[in-house]
Amino acid sequence: MLNRVRDIAKTMLVKKQADGVLGLIKGEWDIIRPHIFERPEEVDAMVIEPKWLLAKMAISILRSSRERYRLAVVARGCDERALTELMKRNQIERERLGTIGIACTADQARSCICSRPFPERLDAGEAISGVDPYDDDVVKGLLAGDASARMEKWARVLNRCIKCYGCRNSCPICVCIPCKLEDEVWVEKGVIPAEMMSYHFIRAFHLSDTCVACGACQDACPVNIPLVALQLSMREFLRETYGYEAGLDPERRSPILYDLHREPAKGQALPDWINTLREDDEP
Amino acid sequence: MSPDYIKTICPYCGVGCGLLLKVEDGKVTATLPDREHPVSRGTLCIKGWSAHEFVHHPERLKSPLVRRGDRFEEISWKEAIALAAEKLKVTAERFGGDAIGGLSSAKCTNEENYLFQKLIRMAFKTNNVDHCARLCHAPTAAGMGQTTGSGAMTNSISDLAGAECILIVGSNAAESHPIIMGEVYKAVDRGAHVIVVDPRRTAVAANAEIHLRMNPGADIPLLAGMMRHIIDSGLANEKFISERMEGFPELKKFLDSWPVEKAANECGIAEGDIKRVAEVYAKAKDSAIIYCMGITQHACGTANVHAVCDLAMLCGKIGKESSGVYPLRGQNNVQGACDMGALPNVYPGYQNVTDRAVQEKFEKAWGRALSAKPGLTVTEMIGSAGKEIRALYIMAENPAISDPDVNHVLESLPKLDFLIVQDIFLTETAKLANLILPAVAFAEKTGTYTNTERRFQLLRKAVKPPGDAKGDFEIICLVANALGLDFSYTHPREVMDEIAKLVPAYGGVSFDRLEKAGLQWPCPDGGHGGTRFLHEGRFTRGKGLFIAPAYTRPFEKPDREYPFWLNTGRMFAHYHTGTMTRRSPFLKREMEGPYVELHPEDARAAGIKDGDRIRITSRRGNIVTAARITERVARGSIFAPFHFTEARANVLTNPVLDPVSKIPEFKACAARIEKEPDERRQG
Repeated sequence: MLNRVRDIAKTMLVKKQADGVLGLIKGEWDIIRPHIFERPEEVDAMVIEPKWLLAKMAISILRSSRERYRLAVVARGCDERALTELMKRNQIERERLGTIGIACTADQARSCICSRPFPERLDAGEAISGVDPYDDDVVKGLLAGDASARMEKWARVLNRCIKCYGCRNSCPICVCIPCKLEDEVWVEKGVIPAEMMSYHFIRAFHLSDTCVACGACQDACPVNIPLVALQLSMREFLRETYGYEAGLDPERRSPILYDLHREPAKGQALPDWINTLREDDEP
Repeated sequence: MSPDYIKTICPYCGVGCGLLLKVEDGKVTATLPDREHPVSRGTLCIKGWSAHEFVHHPERLKSPLVRRGDRFEEISWKEAIALAAEKLKVTAERFGGDAIGGLSSAKCTNEENYLFQKLIRMAFKTNNVDHCARLCHAPTAAGMGQTTGSGAMTNSISDLAGAECILIVGSNAAESHPIIMGEVYKAVDRGAHVIVVDPRRTAVAANAEIHLRMNPGADIPLLAGMMRHIIDSGLANEKFISERMEGFPELKKFLDSWPVEKAANECGIAEGDIKRVAEVYAKAKDSAIIYCMGITQHACGTANVHAVCDLAMLCGKIGKESSGVYPLRGQNNVQGACDMGALPNVYPGYQNVTDRAVQEKFEKAWGRALSAKPGLTVTEMIGSAGKEIRALYIMAENPAISDPDVNHVLESLPKLDFLIVQDIFLTETAKLANLILPAVAFAEKTGTYTNTERRFQLLRKAVKPPGDAKGDFEIICLVANALGLDFSYTHPREVMDEIAKLVPAYGGVSFDRLEKAGLQWPCPDGGHGGTRFLHEGRFTRGKGLFIAPAYTRPFEKPDREYPFWLNTGRMFAHYHTGTMTRRSPFLKREMEGPYVELHPEDARAAGIKDGDRIRITSRRGNIVTAARITERVARGSIFAPFHFTEARANVLTNPVLDPVSKIPEFKACAARIEKEPDERRQG
């Protein structure tokens, strides 16, 4: 699998299909770090483990590189979906970006509760079937109980927040300038924990139809907040109701922006654990 | 040029997280977390994510500056080094070597600290070298040194996740050592009990199972009450005490004078709560104690550390995995600066300056006669400026903000015949200097830092320094050579090799071995893989020693004139004197200026609203700052972070010292508050 990735990367550089390939390098002293391979002979030091999401780095590289610089990214399924989503939102020029798609292992899929641990364009490795996030014990625990019980559980983990902004900083989709989390109207400055409603829920709703569940936010969280699970319900709602998944189809737009007229009757397609929509909540 | 990603270590706190600096066209443009780092594992706090932001700041010092009256003028390095050497030499000749003092730096590398103390000791035959550990963990070095033989964190950060009980005393790790909290919460998620002892309701306390909000400075009564109950209810680890400890009768006698009821009255915690937490701590299979400045920054700081160690040893919760005592070191390399002997009483590796054999060893290795007399501490050197101390060489320290009673510091430093300050910005201290030497930032140098879990880690140069700034390593060598010493080092690795020869515990440490993940000392030889936890089977000093802690109440307490307890400390977005963080745009955005925390009821009584400007006055001076009304502080207490030059909390703090470690009582003094007249209405 690794050799195949290296071969493709070398070919892309030799044939000038890409000016650089973003991947991992195992350098001197066996240190592994992200690297932009620009010379074919460097590629022999390329590795693909550990899982190290590169989509966010790819955007910043493309933004600061010269015009027409073409970058190929060694991309896992989630990296690819993030890049696709960014292209849909005109954050990346399609013609400047390529991917070398690699599949994740079963262990990786489990630890990320990933339902699609492979990219659409798969160049190396075997696509394995994903895990059902609702089978995950952490997710089950968080979604069990009534609204107040769930709120209590979420408050417990979200109150651990040390406001590092790592979830935002590492999220490939969080590219808004200015960022709402830096707006004092919403988020009080200089205080931890960040407020649950105004910080975490604003972020979650901003990403409701764009989150590709890559888990970069959760990986970057120093206090282990289950951020993938936080996005899960909204992602699943879009999938179950509209058959929509962020980052999959480069041509399909978010139903939140374009398909509101096809909104289902209240409650019809809601997951059964949602019991907060009661008749007396009607406006 | 495409960007490159350079693996290095964060310059802020003692956790020592792994960073990747993104380098583009010779500039660091971003910081990313290092997924491969053994401690931080791909996470960072807000300061870590912003670590690159001050590096290319336009205010960086770019050439040596000499004072001419009220102004600074640029001079060449040749002139600057000659001037530094000349002034130090003349002062030493005229007043003796003990008239020279050096403040080394917990921000600098091990190699730089080693060279700095070597320079001071060799060139002037004095031990007047110290650094800011005096203001944070000097009681740890002293107190844990006495009880266990090693003044360092006993275990590893990753051990915390396996603990069944974590007792956190006087540490706001969520703001000051955020990455440690991840390990604490891992333990919580596995069912661990977390007990927090803190007069403030910090984020750590708010997330704990039990928060004991004790009276300021009453740590010893609380811990004594716990120990008394543990003994009374047969929960002491008698096997451990009889096999591995000495001094138990003395501790027992001390505890006889602290019935739980008396302890409860003194610390303000209910008797039942003291008993409950004592039982939780003692009964858990593995219990760890985390402590920080809330323990050390008191006039009985060393005794507080004794009490913490006593509790751990009484229950046998030390010398094994997921237990032990965790002093969280402040600065990125404060552990290393202590290890390297930037202290007035010890050579590198805590080898005593008064020990004749040790002195001979260093005299032989360095080829010069050395002093057997312990030197002065930070606060003593500054206090005797212009008297015993005539010239001071300060490397990357900022006592004009960090020391207690800073008005006194500001009066003292100008009394020196000559003050040399080596730093990266024109700090409040540098403004008082006769000579300023421009040094380089973490991203511009190679060397090693030692984190709070005794881990030597490699710092890698990512970019070139600005202008004519030189590395501290090179500057020290230039000054030393100008003073007639032979510091002909060409690379920090040579210094590390020299250290390894002189300190048995670092014998196996070399740059080549640090490249991948670092090494935790003790590491006595090249085949040794480092030490995850200390005191297994045997304490460093042989048997562990119980010491009856000598309790004293805070020197000042609220009275009619000064009715509030004033507590000082850090907040999450800034670091210490703010030299770096307040020049980082993202951190500055998060917290622009100074504030003081005030309880809502106290605010109401004084007619103060959130954001109002208030004046805080203590017996030392006063500052004007913004009120932040919050229940984080108890009624009758206020809290001021000390990062802000425009409202220096240390104008207020009490310079009374712990008799053993000479740490000042930063955590408790008396103050009053007054609402400032509204400027808008006046104007």
